[in-house]
Amino acid sequence: MSVLLDVKDIAKSYKLKGHWYHKRKFNALSPLSFAIEAKKTLAIVGETGSGKSTLAKILVGAENPTSGKIYLNGQLLQNQHFKQRCQHIRMIFQDSGTTLNPSLTIQELLDEPLILNTALNEKQRKQLIRTTLQKVGLLGDHMNFYPHMFSGGQKQRISLARAIILQPQVIILDEALAALDPSLRSQMINLLLDLQQQMGLAYILISHNLGIVRHFSDEVMIMSQGEVVESGKTIEVMRNPQHKTTQKLMMSQNFQLK
Amino acid sequence: MNLLDIRNLSIELDTPSGRVLAVDRVSLSIKEGEVRGLVGESGSGKSLLAQAIIGVLEDKWHVHADRFHWRGIDLLRLSIDERRALLCRDIAMIFQEPMSCLDPTTLIGEQLSEAIDTSQLTGYFWQRKKQRKDAVIKLLHKVGIKKHVQCINSYPHQLTEAICQRVMIAIALAGRPILLIADEPTAAMESTTQGQIFRLLANLNQLKNMSILLISHDLENLTHWTNTITVMYSGQFVEAGSTEQIFNKPMHPYTRALVDSSTKANLQLPSKSRLMTLPGSIPVLQHLPIGCRLGPRCPRAQQSCVAAPKVSNYHGHKVSCHFPLLRETGKKESVRHKASKGKR
Repeated sequence: MSVLLDVKDIAKSYKLKGHWYHKRKFNALSPLSFAIEAKKTLAIVGETGSGKSTLAKILVGAENPTSGKIYLNGQLLQNQHFKQRCQHIRMIFQDSGTTLNPSLTIQELLDEPLILNTALNEKQRKQLIRTTLQKVGLLGDHMNFYPHMFSGGQKQRISLARAIILQPQVIILDEALAALDPSLRSQMINLLLDLQQQMGLAYILISHNLGIVRHFSDEVMIMSQGEVVESGKTIEVMRNPQHKTTQKLMMSQNFQLK
Repeated sequence: MNLLDIRNLSIELDTPSGRVLAVDRVSLSIKEGEVRGLVGESGSGKSLLAQAIIGVLEDKWHVHADRFHWRGIDLLRLSIDERRALLCRDIAMIFQEPMSCLDPTTLIGEQLSEAIDTSQLTGYFWQRKKQRKDAVIKLLHKVGIKKHVQCINSYPHQLTEAICQRVMIAIALAGRPILLIADEPTAAMESTTQGQIFRLLANLNQLKNMSILLISHDLENLTHWTNTITVMYSGQFVEAGSTEQIFNKPMHPYTRALVDSSTKANLQLPSKSRLMTLPGSIPVLQHLPIGCRLGPRCPRAQQSCVAAPKVSNYHGHKVSCHFPLLRETGKKESVRHKASKGKR
């Protein structure tokens, strides 16, 4: 299968305060490359400060990389060209309660990306919102509700609806499953896997929970201090962890794959 | 001997539309030197129960119980002051988000020395100051902080979250409690630091024979560290038993669903297959179903579930269900392995 998202030598460094002739730099991300195919999931595992969130921000376009290029379907994604990027790469955050605007109804919330990115008229937009809500397991009538009327699991479904409404190709899940209760988390995992099959989505999953990573992902990338220390097929990496960071992570979660 | 023995504890909340039963007849007992897990999803009333035990609930909550004994003393007969004196000597509690529980304007050393009771110090008043300082350093060493000078002279924001949680545990240990209640001590922490905190608690349990009530929303993270587990759902008692019983032979459909939906317990499942899950979402306090509150989501629900089930006991494995899963075959190999490791 052809490569969907191809990341080449992405690096990011921040300038720190220093003297003008003694400039200091902080390398948040050393050059790294990877590629994802459609219908596949790449998991990124690492401790805080390992650069996984920086990588997610660069992919989604919220930050510009210091060097390196990102290709989507062989096409170069330019920095600051949000219109092109936001249709194809979408992101879901950890805390869905704070990422939904509390003063807008669900319809208005989901309308925003459609008004900005599509040429649909009002009737078509409403229809699309209705079908998208049904796709994530909510009712079409929920569009007149406000975010506070929903429970945590339902809010996360609305974030998912907002992510998939533009028919993207890549979705970045930044700890999107961590804050959910276990019984709702398994529902969400099932929903995400179903959508992946239906829409041919590629996921980039950022998570600590190795159980979810094992179940959900095809490939895994373990990061430490801005560098990729180990990568490969999830099963193989977890069966036979080579790097110290990986072994430490698996030890700390009492995680053993036979 | 049972340290804490609670039978049929109910907590009610006054609302404009009448009283709501937030916790409905929950029983809990803790033996000496035991680590008991209390598992429940959000809104299951597990934190309320912990707050009711140490008696810090506001006036709008009303607590009733058939029996509420602490080491043979009936707490319900004591006056509030007597009860407070008793419990603050014997029970300590730590909370989630240690950063927000410590005073941000006071040095760690001062906060710790505040927690040390004067009755623990001996000698004349001019010796007390030094003794107090030594006690602070000793406490810090106990929770595994080696750089005590640096720690005493810093404010909470200068320390990492794991160190802050250790300081919280040190403050809790200052009164030499018999029971430590840990309300989600590792929520929002990284897995490596989570492991450190759990290991510290396990050490304290083994060395000091301190009982621990470990509260968590996640069954899979807990099983490694507990001897016995109590499961709650939406304010009702679900199931209680030893860790192996709960994990290998869950009798309640809810516990069964929790175990089945855990990705860690089902490592033999092919990746990307569908996980077992309960339909629907957790009911809110204003709209609780009558009878068994799992009813609308339960795969085994029948007509009699509109009445709340009684607790039945199968060899120490208590379950509250009309139709428990009694004959379960096919033990999960990986789980048994884990549970036996946790007992060590």
